[in-house]
Amino acid sequence: MMYLLKENFDKAREALAGAYAVVVPDEVLPPKDALFPRSETLYETDRRTGEARAAGAGGKTLLFGVRPCDARAIGNLDAAFLESGYVDANYAQRRENATIVALACAQIPSPACFCDSMGGSPHEAPEADVVLTEAADGSGYALDFQSEKGSAVAEIWKAADLIGPMPAHLEKAPAPTCTLKVNKVPDLAQKLTAAFEDGLWERLAEACLGCGCCTYVCPTCYCFDIGLENRGGTADTFRCWDSCMFPGYTQMAGGHNPRWSKTQRLRNRYLHKLAYFDERYGRTLCVGCGRCICRCPQGLDITRAVEWGERL
Amino acid sequence: MNNFSQQQQKIRSAASRLLADGTVRFVIGWAPTRFAERTTVLFAHTEAEAQALVWNAHCTAALGKYLLDHRLADYAVGIVARGCESRMINRLLTDHQIWRERVYILGAPCPGMDAERCAGCRERAPVVWDELLWDADGMPETGGRQDAAPTNLDEATIADVGAGLALPAVGAACSRPLDTDTSLRSRFFRAEAVEGLSAAEKFSYWDEVYAKCIRCYACRQACPVCSCRACYVDMDRQGFQGKQHSAADNRVFGVTRAFHVADRCVECGECERVCPMGLPILGQTQKLIKEIEALTGEAYVQGMDAEEENFLGAFDLDDKDDFL
Ligand code: SF4
Ligand code: SF4
Ligand code: SF4
Ligand code: SF4
Ligand code: SF4
Repeated sequence: MMYLLKENFDKAREALAGAYAVVVPDEVLPPKDALFPRSETLYETDRRTGEARAAGAGGKTLLFGVRPCDARAIGNLDAAFLESGYVDANYAQRRENATIVALACAQIPSPACFCDSMGGSPHEAPEADVVLTEAADGSGYALDFQSEKGSAVAEIWKAADLIGPMPAHLEKAPAPTCTLKVNKVPDLAQKLTAAFEDGLWERLAEACLGCGCCTYVCPTCYCFDIGLENRGGTADTFRCWDSCMFPGYTQMAGGHNPRWSKTQRLRNRYLHKLAYFDERYGRTLCVGCGRCICRCPQGLDITRAVEWGERL
Repeated sequence: MNNFSQQQQKIRSAASRLLADGTVRFVIGWAPTRFAERTTVLFAHTEAEAQALVWNAHCTAALGKYLLDHRLADYAVGIVARGCESRMINRLLTDHQIWRERVYILGAPCPGMDAERCAGCRERAPVVWDELLWDADGMPETGGRQDAAPTNLDEATIADVGAGLALPAVGAACSRPLDTDTSLRSRFFRAEAVEGLSAAEKFSYWDEVYAKCIRCYACRQACPVCSCRACYVDMDRQGFQGKQHSAADNRVFGVTRAFHVADRCVECGECERVCPMGLPILGQTQKLIKEIEALTGEAYVQGMDAEEENFLGAFDLDDKDDFL
């Protein structure tokens, strides 16, 4: 096991700046922004010749300090963008070019975290290329290099003399446990889907403003819209985040909207997070990061829908 | 010393009574969450649910906008209304969005809550009500957060009466980005922070702010002025403005939103409170209100009654600008 002293933490990040564009995740938005940007040009069409050209999706990036829940969320995005039968070219290119350095949670960052109730762990990030886990004495980090991309990072750190073998007397700190405990029953997906017509959805949605914050801060929301922008010489086809909490999301050209009420929209979000994705990909979409709980201006809480499963 | 618990009792009894005698279908108020320093919004439909309503410094969300969800209702809705909610209600009445007789207003003079939006608030007592739950006399007229007493966690167990779910308390704060400095400030504190800058500095200030905007439109969703059935930002195929996040489009959105709302803005601060990116967008509407006051030489405060004319909406055949 390799080891990085705490005092070398910043240097370790800086040492990577030569080989990668290093992205340190923002405090509000999840790291998905680096793989599936809030807005990106897909292709540019020459307005005179009509020739289209793919805009490309950038070079090598490294996401530094990704939380285990967010790393797990990237695994879910992979399922949707890469493994669903259609490969999304831009996502694939960004994902291929991205190295993920996860930082295991030494403390639970927010009282709304519930990753360990959703099958994750504050200390495990199998999707990451490198995982930094604090040593029990707090002096530094144990390093797990989990892939070839991870080994490339190890080489850079070794060359810069930043890491060495972990001293024999040290061990990883035990994983902390989330303060928010949610009982997720094993057949939650089936139970919630079966309760599709239940009146409780309406009660859960009453306080919702339909603002969409929850989906924009969610590391596993991956819906997008596609549009065109006139740039003079070219017409750019772009895509940007969209949200099922907006009425326009399901608006049909003829005017009909199958999800016309906010109850239907909230139900869709909760069911996508807790049931539909399970049905299709065999894993729960919600990773329990707690962002939607913290950022919801009206105090809505998705764990209420999870716990509802106990009573169904 | 605060009177929160006594006043909370008054809210609960009044709500119970309105539900028992069938005056309203439900009463909109606040309920605790499992987090000590957060509340959520509760639509109390039964007397038992009315007993879960709370009143404390963490009742930060404004309730007025929910009335729009029930604008076509053939039933009456009860609502707890502080200064900000009452002005929101006047706003909706002025804009012919709701029927006065279908709203039953429980007036709740407010000491100022634990939210930055309350820091510049000058109208803490409700300006319209059916029943004033307690006397506004002696309530501080201004002053940010008065008392940040945590939500009574015992009440968290009954928080979810409404949904038939009990929530175990977690007991730590789950804060939002802007709820930091809640000390008292001037009415136009955000605008004043920018006013000293040069034109070029202002431009880059707002560009920096709007570079962070993710165009979720939470600011619009929370705003009682934004009552249009179809918002221009949703007509992205019509070419007013695209959906992409670019400096130009974000800029257009920021300026357009400000101009669409400023002359009817009730200064509730909800737009800023709900912004997930913590953007100081109140500065724009505050500045425009200041400009209106400077131009007319009169105080310009919206939402004080249900009849007022708004500055940009007023139409006069003798307008000196002949292009109209
Ligand atoms: S639904 Fe909420 S808790 Fe779950 S992954 Fe998304 S933001 Fe996190
Ligand atoms: S359907 Fe809704 S919940 Fe699911 S990914 Fe899209 S925006 Fe998120
Ligand atoms: S953040 Fe909250 S209020 Fe906004 S759409 Fe999501 S659940 Fe509704
Ligand atoms: S709420 Fe904030 S981030 Fe969202 S659109 Fe408004 S200003 Fe932009
Ligand atoms: S613009 Fe902001 S402060 Fe003004 S009424 Fe709307 S939400 Fe309230």
